[in-house]
Amino acid sequence: MKRLLMVFGLLASLAQPVQAQDAQQIIRQAMDHYRGVTSYSEMTMTIQRADWTRSMTMQAWTQGDDETLVRVVEPRKDAGNGTLTLDGNMWTYTPKINRVIRIPSSMMGQNWMGSDFSNKDISKNTDVIDQYDHSLLETREQDGHTVYVIESVPHEEAAVVWGKEVFTVRDDWVLLEQQFWDQDNQLVKTLRAREIQMMSGRAVATVMRMAREEKPGEWTELTTAEVEFDIDLPGNLFTLSNLRNPRQ
Amino acid sequence: MRLPLATLLRLAWRNLWRNYRRTLIMLLAIAVGVWAMIAMSAFLRGMTDQMVRSGLNTLPGEVQIHQSNYRADPSVVNSMPPPDGDLLDALNQPPITAWTSRVRVPAMVSSEYDSRGVILLGVDPEGETAIGALPDTIVEGRFLSDADDRGVVLGQRLVERLDTAMGKRVVLMSQDPDNNVADRGARVVGIYRARLRSTEDTLVYAARNPTQSMLKLGSAVSEVAVIGGDYRHSESLVPPLAAAVTNMQLVQSWQQLDPYLGSMLKVQDGFTLIFMVVIFLALSFGLVNTLVMAVFERMREIGLMQALGMRPGLILLQVLIESVLLLSLGLIVGNVAAWLTIKPLESGIDISAVADGMEMMAMGTTLYPALDGRDMLTSTAIVVGLGILASLLPAWRAARLDPIRALAKT
Repeated sequence: MKRLLMVFGLLASLAQPVQAQDAQQIIRQAMDHYRGVTSYSEMTMTIQRADWTRSMTMQAWTQGDDETLVRVVEPRKDAGNGTLTLDGNMWTYTPKINRVIRIPSSMMGQNWMGSDFSNKDISKNTDVIDQYDHSLLETREQDGHTVYVIESVPHEEAAVVWGKEVFTVRDDWVLLEQQFWDQDNQLVKTLRAREIQMMSGRAVATVMRMAREEKPGEWTELTTAEVEFDIDLPGNLFTLSNLRNPRQ
Repeated sequence: MRLPLATLLRLAWRNLWRNYRRTLIMLLAIAVGVWAMIAMSAFLRGMTDQMVRSGLNTLPGEVQIHQSNYRADPSVVNSMPPPDGDLLDALNQPPITAWTSRVRVPAMVSSEYDSRGVILLGVDPEGETAIGALPDTIVEGRFLSDADDRGVVLGQRLVERLDTAMGKRVVLMSQDPDNNVADRGARVVGIYRARLRSTEDTLVYAARNPTQSMLKLGSAVSEVAVIGGDYRHSESLVPPLAAAVTNMQLVQSWQQLDPYLGSMLKVQDGFTLIFMVVIFLALSFGLVNTLVMAVFERMREIGLMQALGMRPGLILLQVLIESVLLLSLGLIVGNVAAWLTIKPLESGIDISAVADGMEMMAMGTTLYPALDGRDMLTSTAIVVGLGILASLLPAWRAARLDPIRALAKT
C-alpha cells in the first residue's frame, strides 16, 4: 500500500511538468485556432452602455502572433479608421485628420474605440502564452466535448496587471471563456463565447462578449460575420503606409 | 554760542518725557508697527520658503545637469552617459556636498482597475538619501533598498487612485529610445506620503538599474542632481560644473530650472519692502502729528531760545533728535516683541483648517514662520530713514519760527 502511494506520488510529480506543458499547449492551440497562421475576418462590434448602444463593422487581418490590422467599414463617420499593431506597438489612422498616430504607452491602457477592450488587449493578445505559467485546473465533459479549464498566472515581472487569467478551452480549440482576475482574487472582467459556428472548416466563436463584473448591463460584443484562415496576404499589408493608404 | 551735542540730546530726551502719555502712545504705535512688519515678513518668508522647498522637492536637486534637449523634451531619447572624467572630478569637489544621477521619464503605471500618467524616477537610493531627495515619509513598507531593487514605491494617493495596495503588482510602461513600448511588472514595496498630495500622484520611484534595462538605456541617465550648502545660493555651484560638461549637456541651477520659484524669492523680498513702507506710511502720520504738536506747544520756548541766540540749525537738530529717540525706543520694543513672539512659532503653526486652499499654493498644512535678521534690519532702516524724513517738516517749521512772533504767542 505504501509502495503504491509512493508510485502515485512519483507519477504525480512526473505528471506536473507534463501537465503544465499541456496547459501551455492548449492555450497555444486555442490562440492559433483563433488567429490561424493568417486570417481575414469581418465582424461587428457592439458596445452596450447604460444610456447608449453603438455598433461598428470592421475588417481584420492577422498574421502570426503579433501582426494585426483592423479597419472600420461602418458607420460612415468612422469608416476608414484603422488600427495596426506590430510587435506590441500600436498605430491608428483617422482619415478625417489624415494622420497616422502612434499610440503612446500612456494610452495603451485606455479602451480601444470606446469598447471594453483596452488597446493592450488588442495589441498583445498572444503574450499570454509565454508570459504566464499555465496549469490545468480541470477537464470536464460538456455537450459532447472535452473542456479544459486552465489557470494562467503571470510571471513576476510580466507587464500584466492581472492576478491571474482563467481560460476555458474546448477540445476543438475554441476559446469558450477568458476570465480576468485581480490580485485579490476578484473577477474583474470576462470574455465569453456566446455562439459557436462552423466557418471555413473551423469551429469559431462567432459571438464573443466582454463584460465587466462591476458594471452589469454594459458590455462589448464581437460578432464575426465571416472568417477565412490561412490565406495569402500581401507582404505590405501590415505596414504604416498600408494603414494610411489601403490597397487591399 | 555753541551748544554741545550732549546738551542737545539731554534737551530732546527731557522734552520727550514732558508729555509722557503722548510719547508712550506714540511709542506703542511704533512698536506695534515694527512688530507687524517683522511678523508679517516672517510669515511671508515662511510661506515662500515652503513653496520653494516643496518646488525643489519635486525637482529635486538644487543644480541639475541634463542633456541639452532634455528640458524641452524630457523623453528617454534625450538621456546622457553617466558622469565620468572631468565631470566626475568636478562633482566631487566642494562646495558640492552630494550628487546623484537618475533616470526620469514620463511613464504610465497601471493596475487592474486604472492607469495613470506619472513621472518615473529610476533612482539610486543611496544617492537620493545623500541629496535629501527621498519621499517625506514611508507610511507602509520600505523605500527601495539599492539600485538593483526590482520593486516600486508609489505615493499614497496614487495607490488609492489605482485601487492597488502594498505587495501587489503594477505595470510600469514607457518608451525605449527607439519608440517601442517598454514595460515591466513590478511589486509595490513601499508607499510614501509627501507634504503635497499632488507629489504623491506624480512621482513613482523605481531603482535605477532595472529602470535602465527596462528602457534599454544601458548606463545612460536623464539627470544628475547636485546639492551644496544654502539653496538660496545654488548659482555658485554652476560655473565649475559647466566647465566640465560636454557641449551636449546643460548645467542649470534651480532658479533657472524653475524660474517661477526663482522669481518667487525676489517677489517676496519686494513685497516685504512694500508692505513695510505701507505700514510706515500709516505710522508716519502719527509721528508727524506728535512732533507738530510738540513744536506747537513749545512755540514760546523755541522763540526764547532763538532770541537768546540759538541757531535755527540746532533747533532743527533738536527736534530731529527727539524724533530719532522716539523711533529708536519704538524699534527696540518692536524688535524684541517680534523676536519673542515669532521664535517660539518657528517650529510650525498648524493651519490644516485651511489646508485645501494652501495646497493650491503648493503649501502643506503647517506654516513655519521664518524670522530673518535681514527683515529686522530692513524694517529698522525703513523706520529710521523714513522717520527722519517725516520729522523734517515739523523740525523745519520749528527752525523757521520768527522769535518775536513766537515769543508773543501765549
